[in-house]
Amino acid sequence: MRKPGWLLAVPAWVWLLVFFVAPVLQVLWFSFGYKPGIFGTHANDVLSLDRYAEALTPTFFATFQNTLGIAVAGTLLCLVIALPMAYWMAAKVPSRHRGLLLALVLVPYWTNFLIRTIGWQIILSPEGVLSHLGQSLGFGPIDILYTRAAVLLGVVYNYLPLMILPLYVAFDRVDPALREASKDLGANRFRTLFGVTLPLAQPGIIAGIVLVFIPLMGDYITPTVLGGARGNMVGQLVASQFQTAQNWALGAAMAVLLILVIAVTLGVAALLAWAVTFPLRARARLRLGEAA
Amino acid sequence: MSGKRRAASDVALGVWGVAVFAFLFAPIVVVVMSSFNSGRLLVAWQGFSLEPFAAIVSKPAIRDAVLVSLQTGAIAAVVASILGMLAGIALARRPGKWAAWFIALLLLVSVTPEIVDAVSLLPWLVFLGQDLGLPIFNDGIARLVIGHSLFSTAVVSYIVRARLIGLDARLEEASADLYAPPVRTFLRITLPLVAPAVLAGALLSFTLSLDNTVIAAFVQVSGSTPWPVYVLSALRSGLRPEIAAVSTVMLVLTLGALAVVWAVLRRSGDSSNQIARTLAGG
Repeated sequence: MRKPGWLLAVPAWVWLLVFFVAPVLQVLWFSFGYKPGIFGTHANDVLSLDRYAEALTPTFFATFQNTLGIAVAGTLLCLVIALPMAYWMAAKVPSRHRGLLLALVLVPYWTNFLIRTIGWQIILSPEGVLSHLGQSLGFGPIDILYTRAAVLLGVVYNYLPLMILPLYVAFDRVDPALREASKDLGANRFRTLFGVTLPLAQPGIIAGIVLVFIPLMGDYITPTVLGGARGNMVGQLVASQFQTAQNWALGAAMAVLLILVIAVTLGVAALLAWAVTFPLRARARLRLGEAA
Repeated sequence: MSGKRRAASDVALGVWGVAVFAFLFAPIVVVVMSSFNSGRLLVAWQGFSLEPFAAIVSKPAIRDAVLVSLQTGAIAAVVASILGMLAGIALARRPGKWAAWFIALLLLVSVTPEIVDAVSLLPWLVFLGQDLGLPIFNDGIARLVIGHSLFSTAVVSYIVRARLIGLDARLEEASADLYAPPVRTFLRITLPLVAPAVLAGALLSFTLSLDNTVIAAFVQVSGSTPWPVYVLSALRSGLRPEIAAVSTVMLVLTLGALAVVWAVLRRSGDSSNQIARTLAGG
């Protein structure tokens, strides 16, 4: 019985090494190569960082900026929309209804990503529901399809469940007795919210931000369906190098840069969050010290 | 006074919650409604008709795409369940230094943006199929199964591991103490214990595969185009109501699978919260 148990994991190891790690390493390798003429896709006999320089030329760099802008705005909007929503589900709704509400959040999450994005294309189209609504309310026709605004709406919609779920789990774990205690000790509702509830929900907030931001940066479908030429994102840039331009080396460099941008942005965000909350934490420690 | 203010804020939260649900369901309702559109174009409503649903049978391109999706989904579910089940059992019962590395790998697989997986797999499969001359990697279904099984394997591993960690390892030890050979312990004790988790994981893998668009668009071979890639290419030529109709059918299929997952996990004793976490992808 006591044989090495990790043997059971060997098939999965091999599968993921062969079909995940190896392909990603190959792309990393390609990114140091070049495109050898019209019919070739890549060559690696001369290695350089030229493709990275090429990927950062103004045309492509603008797309990186645009993507980062949409991803940061989209993640923050998701957080702002999901915080009250998750809090309501976890703290205000009677517990016997919570399972149903969770299931309702999961339905859109599990609906085909492409199809729900197409649903927004129908809503936003010039002859669509929203435009008619705008006209009858006197705003005039609403025509935001194929703009950055449409992409932002689309990504907020598409990734919102990924923000709601971890926040819900986090709020659900906060013992209601802690909020009661804070109130009994004389804190008003804002102090309870910012001093007790939100700090305790912090792991959920971090998980939600990571879960939304990473796939959002690499989104290919939403900008393809809703963005048109004006709402371009890096995902499409990478895709077009592999599918139409047949320049695998450049596409590979863009993919690696995408990963780097994601990692650096999350790192900077973590540092910022740490720096911003530092005085708060120092004060809290001080007060505890005085009390003792 | 304070009671009244509290009630007002609760009402505001409730209104917000209902509004968010309306937002979450708006495009889905629109797609389902559009599948009864008798017009030629998806965006322009003409009248009510069941005609679009007939396209699933009558249009070979659509029928084939749906069949490719179902076939891929089934095979990918089997592959991911077997790999994920074994890995999950090992993670729960034989943790060690290797487990940390393995979990890190699973985490990487789950957070890597799909587009990166997609553009990595395409040249890799070309390398395996053409440069190394392994014919299996030129097969359309095999390529789709490989692409769709990566994330699913991670998901099944998480689910099985979570399930088994909650169960007493002494059940298996007792079996071994009673002189059952390891294989019999595995078949009689471990397997039945993890069965609900594996079934849930398999159904999730199936629906994940049905939904997969990005990886599929890159690794697919013409002749075995799965449904979402067919829709993606139809975007350029104009969307017709039958796209919405087939999507509605696929949605019903997905929801059916999820309902079964919910029921299976419920019966095996999970709370709604645990199920929700499982369904949110581990």
